[in-house]
Amino acid sequence: MNQKENKRYERLSSSSKKQLVIESDQVLHELQTEFTDNLSGMDYFYGVAHQFARGQLSNQEKRKYIATSCVQVPIELIYAAGALPVRTCSGAHSMSMAGAEFLPARSCSLVNATFGAIHTNSLPVSSKPLAIINPTTCDQKKKLSEIPSGIDIPFYTLEVPPTKDSEEAREYWYRIVKKFTRDLEQITGKRIRKSNLKEAIFRVAKAQQAFRQLHQIRMGHHSIRGTDALLIANTFFYDDIDSWTHHLHSLNSELVQRLTGDLNRQNSSSPRILLTGSPSIFPNFKLPLMIEKMGGDIVVDEFCSSNRLLYDTVAVDEWNMYDMIPAIADRYLKACTCPCFTPNRDRDRKLLTYIKDFKVDGVVYQSFSGCQLYELESMRISKLLEQENIPMLYIETDYSPDDKGQLSTRIEAFIESLKAKKLHLIA
Amino acid sequence: MRKLKRYINNSNISRFRLIFQILAFLLLIYGGYVSIHIGTSIPTFACPYNQECPGTCYLISAQHQLHNTWASLFGFRGKAFLIGFLTFILFFLVINKAWCGYICPLGTIQDWITKVRNLAGVSFSRYDNLSFKRLKAIKYVILFLLIIIPLGMSNSLLGLPLFSEDLSAPFCQICPGRVVTPLFIGDTSQLFIDFTNTTTMIMSTLGIIVLALFFIGSFFKKRFFCFFCPMSALHSLFSPISPLRLNKKGDNCTRCGNCYRVCDVGIKAIADDIEHKYMVKDDCMMCFKCVEACPENDCLEVSFVKVPLFTSTEEGFFKRNLHLDNDMKNPSCTIIEDEPKRK
Amino acid sequence: MHYFTGIDIGSTAIKIAIISEETELIAQKVVPTGAKFNENAMNAYTTLVEESNLELSKSRYVISTGYGRRLYKSADQTVSEITANAIGAAVVSKGHSIRTIINIGGQDSKIIQINQQGFVQNFIMNDKCAAGTGRFLEMASRNLEVDIDQMGEWHRLSRDKDLTVNSTCAVFAESEIISLLAEGKKKEDIIAGIHISIAKRIARLAGRTTVQDDVLFDGGTAYNCGLIDALEEEFMRDFIIPESPQITTAIGAAHMALEIFLKSESYPSDSLQMHPEKHHHLKD
Repeated sequence: MNQKENKRYERLSSSSKKQLVIESDQVLHELQTEFTDNLSGMDYFYGVAHQFARGQLSNQEKRKYIATSCVQVPIELIYAAGALPVRTCSGAHSMSMAGAEFLPARSCSLVNATFGAIHTNSLPVSSKPLAIINPTTCDQKKKLSEIPSGIDIPFYTLEVPPTKDSEEAREYWYRIVKKFTRDLEQITGKRIRKSNLKEAIFRVAKAQQAFRQLHQIRMGHHSIRGTDALLIANTFFYDDIDSWTHHLHSLNSELVQRLTGDLNRQNSSSPRILLTGSPSIFPNFKLPLMIEKMGGDIVVDEFCSSNRLLYDTVAVDEWNMYDMIPAIADRYLKACTCPCFTPNRDRDRKLLTYIKDFKVDGVVYQSFSGCQLYELESMRISKLLEQENIPMLYIETDYSPDDKGQLSTRIEAFIESLKAKKLHLIA
Repeated sequence: MRKLKRYINNSNISRFRLIFQILAFLLLIYGGYVSIHIGTSIPTFACPYNQECPGTCYLISAQHQLHNTWASLFGFRGKAFLIGFLTFILFFLVINKAWCGYICPLGTIQDWITKVRNLAGVSFSRYDNLSFKRLKAIKYVILFLLIIIPLGMSNSLLGLPLFSEDLSAPFCQICPGRVVTPLFIGDTSQLFIDFTNTTTMIMSTLGIIVLALFFIGSFFKKRFFCFFCPMSALHSLFSPISPLRLNKKGDNCTRCGNCYRVCDVGIKAIADDIEHKYMVKDDCMMCFKCVEACPENDCLEVSFVKVPLFTSTEEGFFKRNLHLDNDMKNPSCTIIEDEPKRK
Repeated sequence: MHYFTGIDIGSTAIKIAIISEETELIAQKVVPTGAKFNENAMNAYTTLVEESNLELSKSRYVISTGYGRRLYKSADQTVSEITANAIGAAVVSKGHSIRTIINIGGQDSKIIQINQQGFVQNFIMNDKCAAGTGRFLEMASRNLEVDIDQMGEWHRLSRDKDLTVNSTCAVFAESEIISLLAEGKKKEDIIAGIHISIAKRIARLAGRTTVQDDVLFDGGTAYNCGLIDALEEEFMRDFIIPESPQITTAIGAAHMALEIFLKSESYPSDSLQMHPEKHHHLKD
């Protein structure tokens, strides 16, 4: 880049970072002050999010970082290679503006923001990431590696098959993950051995166990707000994994105490909502916050950035490399309900299971403008829910705050209709 | 009651199975030393070639009983056959295919060989879908032959001459159990090739080949022999009516495939089938590793006449597979009014 | 006498409806919104109360709805115009079972689908573009120098309904109208073309969903008989037009005020209450 470009880049980068801090602080402020039922266990997570926005980490020592642009990247392998995975998917409007100049006009805000965050060097790392692992999941994400820009972190394309049911696709994925293991060793300069891979699997499994406990707790009466739960999952990559797990366990204990303490609970009249579709990533909590302000209770979501991040498990039969690596591969492919896979019937079944387990009253389906995958599945899901007599609200939106007024009308009307249905059924 | 259920669902069935297998092995190999006799219709390999075996496996009885003329089969010999057959079915039905997983000594030996391979750090192999489909018929062919050949030895089938007497108990002549089980009492007499005539040469050579395949195959593939076992083929005809059942609730399945991953005999349906309920298929030996590996609550279940004995639970999964204890009281048991059991 | 009020604060006009305890409509008013929503709404309300010989103290419950609902500070509660319109439609169409509502307002147009139990099942809104709204008609009436109230009569004079106004954007349509006039096309034909263009746009909005009978058409534009003709032609059925289509939503809000007030008397904690400031979870 020449001097002029350099200057412009500096301005863009610093203003985007400033904006990120402003956006994050605003959302954190709302989370902490707008509602009356705050949990003390959430303070840690608010703290992590606060620091993330400022590009800081709680632990500033020099570590090796591997950036990831999708949840399909097997993080157990990254931990085993002695590096820290850091997620690049961004929820900041400022970042989506920064990335927008490199991407087509009608591209998804999330992809814009991801690219923008990388381009403006806004990742919460203490040293430059060694590589950006970019899976070939959705069209727009996979082409990021070929966009000419000043990004000097090498992109590594992780080949994810477009289907997950056939034996051929699964075999292909095993080979890719094996290759990825070898390549990771080269990138980080550390050999992945049986012992450190086993340890990595255990560390992630601990986090998964805590997360699943939270999932179970939310099936019961209301104890934690949906936006708080989203934030918990979103902060997963931004602090030491063991610390995150520990604090989540404390939070779970607090929630259990809350529920056991109040035995005369009345059934809350707040409609129970399931969120699905393009993921709301901090600080883009525009839609979930609005739902909660309008009186809805988000009890569960099917976002890759939260619920699906830590749900699926690794089951190893023989604790040797030849079985651990395919076990890890299976975790990321088989149960995944991302619409980048076809067919994706597992998503239909998962949604219905969640609706039943969480006693969901209504579904809000979010699609980012330009996200073809979620848009294409919306009709099938809409018909499915219609058959099951579950009301669904389809919202097409992006990261910009311009459509808040229009959204509020729609959401308010939807929540009102759910409440009316609920009350009429009780009264 | 809840506590007991929770304890069982969190328990390590594989460890229990290991101990049970050792005990059953001791019984079936050395039982004769203490004059135990458990009959001649045992629904698993219990080889009389091992003189201290406390009984005989049903296949050898069947092969001998079928070596009779039609006339006697429809007469008094037939009654003996029927009684033997019914005894076999009844014994079998009580614990279904768990005979294979918990009692069969050949199975136990194969599991031990697998453990040796695991310790040596050598990778195992699996059949791909196509090979699985094509090769699984072999055990039915073997079963068919071991019924037809004895019949053909006493009766003229389709105008063919009577089969040679050297083909007596044809399956036993190639069964690895005949050679392996006596080895455990120090008897190597079955390890030979019979040069008497062509038929005996072929059959005994086949026997040695099958033995070699048994050891090499089960080293590289878990429970290799069970894929070709005619006892398993016979079992599969009656398994659907057994009171001991392994059921799946397809709605609760996330198709994570953990169950298939750990399955020694490679039953794909346990992971991919979400329509059907009864999951004991192909060579399932009811080891219940699948139930142990299932991370969803109430998806896979072992029941006896509709009474649930062992159910998959999230808590049990983390405890067994990853040694992670649930420090806090299980929330789904104490908080939600309804049981975690889903409809 | 006690009374209940619904105030619909739209982008163009403020509509007020007052009903008695016996659900009788006792007063209504429509005024332009202007810039100061809160003030204008307050003034219009107090004026209406005076004109109708009512006492302000006897007002039991006030619900505000519409685009500017949250800016009206004196409301007891706010409700979305979609829900209010649905309730209002049921009230004004006694005898008919309304399953679809088409509302073409000043700056937006909506299609609301109602299920058999009377609940809002689905709704489609066009609030991003003025092309199928009252604003479009306003612009056209200005360019053609025709009184907006007369547009319907002009439509009925048209003998050539094949003239189409093609522009997707209301702003570009303006230029198109002017050039049509310059070409010598008749006013009544252009007006008919505009109505048909709006009807086609609404039909496109309805798009994939099925429109079920009976259909009620309301909003300020429902006074326009020409537009009604065009819509009925496009949707191939007769619509039910309320007596005062512009205040249907306000009537709905007033009825909701009555229902909520009565319910909160009998079920104090269980209500549709939505406090605009603090949002309570676990409050019960």
